[in-house]
Amino acid sequence: MTDLMGIMVVTLMIWVGLFAYVYRLDRKVSRLED
Amino acid sequence: MTVSRLVTEALAVMAKDLRTEFRTRVALNALGLFALTVLAAVSYTVGPYRITAEDRPFLLAVLLWIVIFFAALAGLDRSFVKEEESHTAPLLRLAASPTAVWLGKLAFNLVLIYLLMAILVPLFCILMGYRIVLVEGFVVLLVVGGFALAVITTIVAAIIARALTRGALFSVLSLPLLLPLLIFLIQGTTGAAEGTSETISNALRAVVSMGGIMTIVSAVLFPVVWSE
Amino acid sequence: MRGAHILKWLLLVWLAVVIVAAFFYVHPAEGFIGESSRIVFFHVPMAWISVLAFLVSCIASVMYLKRRDPKDDIRASVSAGLGLLFAVLATTTGAVFARIMWNAYWNWDPRQTSITILLLIYAAYLALRGAIEDPERRASLSAVYAILAFVTVPFLVFIVPRIYWSLHPDTIINTRGANEFDARYTQVLMASLAGFTGLYVWLYTIGCRIEAIRQRRRQEVL
Repeated sequence: MTDLMGIMVVTLMIWVGLFAYVYRLDRKVSRLED
Repeated sequence: MTVSRLVTEALAVMAKDLRTEFRTRVALNALGLFALTVLAAVSYTVGPYRITAEDRPFLLAVLLWIVIFFAALAGLDRSFVKEEESHTAPLLRLAASPTAVWLGKLAFNLVLIYLLMAILVPLFCILMGYRIVLVEGFVVLLVVGGFALAVITTIVAAIIARALTRGALFSVLSLPLLLPLLIFLIQGTTGAAEGTSETISNALRAVVSMGGIMTIVSAVLFPVVWSE
Repeated sequence: MRGAHILKWLLLVWLAVVIVAAFFYVHPAEGFIGESSRIVFFHVPMAWISVLAFLVSCIASVMYLKRRDPKDDIRASVSAGLGLLFAVLATTTGAVFARIMWNAYWNWDPRQTSITILLLIYAAYLALRGAIEDPERRASLSAVYAILAFVTVPFLVFIVPRIYWSLHPDTIINTRGANEFDARYTQVLMASLAGFTGLYVWLYTIGCRIEAIRQRRRQEVL
């Protein structure tokens, strides 16, 4: 059970990190478009 | 445009290509020498008796088709690349309709590939000791497979002739399109060597449908590639 | 604009919930070793997106040849780039799963063969794009290649696996085994597919905008 928990936490961290990266990219592109 | 005019134009394009080809023999040398060198290497290293009898129909079919396909990739782009390199393409654009050019180049590639097969396949069977049980089925497979191979390589050659790095790109672009064909032909040839006609007819159906669809799509798209 | 903003944050929460559900809401499926069935919730969406991206790329290519709008060319190339990325992810997640289930990362299963060829097609398409300098010529030639490749794919997906025997479990491609997994499994898988499709759409729009800016700059320089 703890293994599963650990893998889930890592997966979640990857997803949040990816989201943050894409979100910032999106903002940056919006700035460049103006 | 009438059909007869189209055919005459296509034949003229093919005749012109054949004449220049027999003058320089660039594509023929590339195709033929590649096939013979690989065949010599394979038959020297593997030989007729190294593979066990039950593996033979399949493994030898793999080797045969790989030699044919890679030989085709070594030379079948010449017909278009030559036009671009010698700057004769614009003239050909004026002289003949796109469809006629496509048909002519396809016919030229067909001549090359059938010539290659006529020499290579008997040699392969002799050198490797490859016994084919259903010879008729095998011949039909070779004819249809050669046609599909020529159709696909012709349109890809037309595309890469207009790019910068031609030689490497031809194999890179052709292989993904050719792989299903390769799988079907290997399967069918295995059937021909084992004597199961059902495998041959299954493979034939797949090859015919793939060749047919590719012919239609190429005929529609070729003018786009050619007249850019 | 505001709606799009909310959708982005919704996507964050949505996929986070999918991840939690994939690990704790679903019971491990029968017939799979240990907890290995959980990777399906990530592997199947990757494979789905790689095919979807390919489809989008082909439709954009056809549209380009029809109306010669440079935007369609951008759409095709961006979608192909994303498709390549997701195809690599599908291949690696699939290989990990194959290692656990069949004890080999790679065994040329028909599904692995078809994804490999899809990878090759994407790579060839992008190589072709890199080899042509003139933008219009690049657009039309790569569009032709994309259509040719698109014609090949059904043979790989439907006919090659019939000729060869497959180890790959039938999940969504074949619906006859729908009751093999419980209802929770289907719920999470569908939610995951929806979430990843949303992610693809977002990445795709960003990619198209970046390309548009790049092209505008290039024109300004000239």
